[in-house]
Amino acid sequence: MNCLEFRRRVGAEPAVSGDAIDSHRSQCPACARHQDELRAMDALIGRALAVDVPRLGRTGAAVPPAAPKLPRARWLAMAASIMIGFAVGAALWLGSPRPSLAREVIGHVVHEPGTMMLTAAIAPEALAAVLDPDRTKLRAGIGDVTYAKRCVFDGHVVPHLVVRMPQGPVTVLLLRHRNVSEPVRLSEQEYVGVVLPAPHGSIAIVGHDQKDLDGIAQQVFDAVDWGN
Amino acid sequence: MNRDDHGTERQRRFATICEELRPDLMRFAFWLGRDRQLAEDVVQEALLRAWKSFDGLAEESKAKSWLLTIVRREFARSFERKRLEVADLDALVAAEADVLAADEDAALAEMREALFRLDDEYREPLVLQVMMGYSTQEIADQMGLQQGAVLTRLFRARARLRQELGVAAEPLTS
Repeated sequence: MNCLEFRRRVGAEPAVSGDAIDSHRSQCPACARHQDELRAMDALIGRALAVDVPRLGRTGAAVPPAAPKLPRARWLAMAASIMIGFAVGAALWLGSPRPSLAREVIGHVVHEPGTMMLTAAIAPEALAAVLDPDRTKLRAGIGDVTYAKRCVFDGHVVPHLVVRMPQGPVTVLLLRHRNVSEPVRLSEQEYVGVVLPAPHGSIAIVGHDQKDLDGIAQQVFDAVDWGN
Repeated sequence: MNRDDHGTERQRRFATICEELRPDLMRFAFWLGRDRQLAEDVVQEALLRAWKSFDGLAEESKAKSWLLTIVRREFARSFERKRLEVADLDALVAAEADVLAADEDAALAEMREALFRLDDEYREPLVLQVMMGYSTQEIADQMGLQQGAVLTRLFRARARLRQELGVAAEPLTS
């Protein structure tokens, strides 16, 4: 299976697996990442499709007139089974291992190493196109933005920037959907970084073997205008 | 079991199925037609039809698929009966803004609008796959298509969504 065949396959069925898929994934990090992104996008699609049914309803009419109301005892039994279902589901969800935020952030950066090597500043309009949907701005003076794209991360579309600062390039991910109560340190392979609590969610700043990471992170943090 | 008991039991079973599946049926009908009033009418009518032919449902484990087929047919009938025209997409989005709203989650709202704007031929298989958990063969059976055509539509649906959302497209490396 080559990259084209792999991407055609996972583009139609991101959840697909099997020997050929797994084998190609292990040989091609770019395609593996592509599939991971599609899976994350599917999670977002799933949440998007699950619109609120009460909002859909108009009159509250539910079942055909021929169908009788359920006896009270039946309702209670159904309610109890639903509650038990929720409890079991919650226990399974809480008990299942969740990849750490640090690993997810570093994993995202590792798969796009080329972005940290870019040196030409992108056009202000290109940066605005990435930040505007989140009503966010980056104040001038922080450094040249050499990369800006909206990426799927953890089932959400997030701004991904590379800012070229005097100390070197750093990757910045604006994670509005992900709250942290205190700074989370990242260190893996040759990357170091930190995820800071932000006015809306959090912000991840990752550099390549940075010495003064805290100082850099503070400068980036101060340069982001999160809007309302 | 006498005739009255049988009738009551039948009604009870049907009511249970309806209560359980109605949210998914409503969502399916909504994403088919992108109109909440139409969705409610279609589901209501579909459930009435389902009630009339409930005895034809051999296995209750297949109730979801059976009801989805009825909803789909009922939607097609409504479309034909009312000669619905493809309305201006911006107007459709505005009309259903509160259904599409996602408080404090811009990405979710953005995705809902992108799905809303997706062509019918791409949106329906995607809904069946992601929301209903159908395999590509089941989607093909439901829509009367070849499995290959379903795969193509699903691929294009996701490509269009990525494009619509401005998600970076990765170049092929080999």
